Amino acid sequence: MTRNEIISQVNDLLVEEFEIEQSEITPEASMKEVLHLDSINLVDLVALVHVTYGITIPAEDLPKLKSFNDLYDYIESHKAA
Amino acid sequence: MKYDVAIIGSGLGGLVCAQLLARAGRSVLVLERQAQPGGCLQSFRRGAFVFDTGLHTVGGLAPGQSLHRRFEELGLMQLPWQRLDASGYDLVTIGGETFAHAEGFDTFAATLARRFPAEREALHAFTRMLATLPAMDEAGEVSAYDYLCRTFADPLLVNVLSASLLKMELRRESLPLFTFLHVVAGYVQSSWRLAADGGLLVHTLIDNIRRLGGEVRCGAEVVELVERDGRLTAALGRGGEAWEADRFVSDIHPRLTYDLIRESTHIRRIQRWRLASLQDTFGMLTVSLVLKPGVLPYFNHNKYVYRRANVWDEPLAGGEAEPIDRVMVSCRVPAEGTFTRQIDLLTPLPWALCMPWQHTHVGHRCDDYLAMKRRRADECIDLAETVIPGLRAMILHQYVSTPLTWRDYNLTPQGSAYGIRKDCRNMLLTTFSPQTSIPNLFLTGQSLVIHGIEGVTETAFATAEAILNAG
Repeated sequence: MTRNEIISQVNDLLVEEFEIEQSEITPEASMKEVLHLDSINLVDLVALVHVTYGITIPAEDLPKLKSFNDLYDYIESHKAA
Repeated sequence: MKYDVAIIGSGLGGLVCAQLLARAGRSVLVLERQAQPGGCLQSFRRGAFVFDTGLHTVGGLAPGQSLHRRFEELGLMQLPWQRLDASGYDLVTIGGETFAHAEGFDTFAATLARRFPAEREALHAFTRMLATLPAMDEAGEVSAYDYLCRTFADPLLVNVLSASLLKMELRRESLPLFTFLHVVAGYVQSSWRLAADGGLLVHTLIDNIRRLGGEVRCGAEVVELVERDGRLTAALGRGGEAWEADRFVSDIHPRLTYDLIRESTHIRRIQRWRLASLQDTFGMLTVSLVLKPGVLPYFNHNKYVYRRANVWDEPLAGGEAEPIDRVMVSCRVPAEGTFTRQIDLLTPLPWALCMPWQHTHVGHRCDDYLAMKRRRADECIDLAETVIPGLRAMILHQYVSTPLTWRDYNLTPQGSAYGIRKDCRNMLLTTFSPQTSIPNLFLTGQSLVIHGIEGVTETAFATAEAILNAG
């Protein structure tokens, strides 16, 4: 799966699950702001990555995931591993 | 009438929440689907005898210990608690050799160090950890099995330390150290039995709730939770009732809770996927025995018997033909005299071995199911006889329940004993906060963080606090 494919799939899932517009997602935008993440629905994001890619994001890695780009990077590097 | 809080399920978590909220002045309604309250704590009667289902041992009830303050606050310390033997509240027998789990962190370590002298330092390090109990962010993502194997050189000792967690799923790859330590720590502080059946605990809580103005209704099955304008407004009953409340607490399995909410602006598809993907811990086969009078002296400890040092192996992984190789023996405190009339034998029974009858229901099962129960009960009795010689000849009556029984009465998926399996590789997704994405829906119960009497009580306090903090 190429990075572009990951980006496209992740964005589609986020648009559907978090009910946002594609246009709100830019690589450098803050996920916290765009997805309105709080302690409850942060878990939904983790679940989405887990269910879709089989990647488990441990709690200690969460603070590193700030922008959408961070998320794409995380999926790309852990999927390859 | 509109209640401040409606609580679905009358298990320990639901009742503790109800009492705390009623005490804080909230109008509270507890809705129980069954005719009998108590969930996993309920007992059942056969003739003159009452049997427990879920309640066997409670830890940490002495003054100053972990559960004492909570139970004092709930008015439960006045119940007839029987402290188990300090020199060995649990006797673990593995391959014919018996080891005592002794009360108190230092004594626990010192007692086992006499048999495992080379492990003295490691045992004291282990009990120091039990005494301080690391938080979830330290011990949640560590495997209990890996920790034990790193800490102790002798694999037999790893088995001995874990053997009393027979009712818990000891999975090498998933069981978090956090869960393991929290469950063990309470018992090492002090272990207790209720000198009565679990019904006494349930009815004491219900009496307290009613005295504080709360209501508990049995035979009140909730079939839907209705969301309107982003908040839950009512619980609909099977008989067409609509119970309205400002807030709702669910003390049933999280998956069943979300199934009750058919339409929601808050519940994303991913939340339902997540719940559907989670596994539950295994269920138990319980053989409840009535003994002849005057044949078995009461023993003030639990016995755990394993044929071999394979405590961390998946039970009955060999399938239907494999005989039971582990059993817990619990003894009922006699109402009078020194002889007991009741003991329970418990062993895990994986769902795969219950599946042939998964579409049958209690009271309507077939002969091959009854034959399976008889055979498994015999295997449990064979194993228990290695520590209670002549047990079979003492038996007057026996009653056997399986995970199918548990499922039919308590609705836990696959008859799971402890609900959602915690996974150290994935703590974020296998534990739950009392808050949900619906602002006025809260969760409580054994599936959230830690199971057992202490875990469920602690969680219920957290749930009640979350509601009271919300205003």
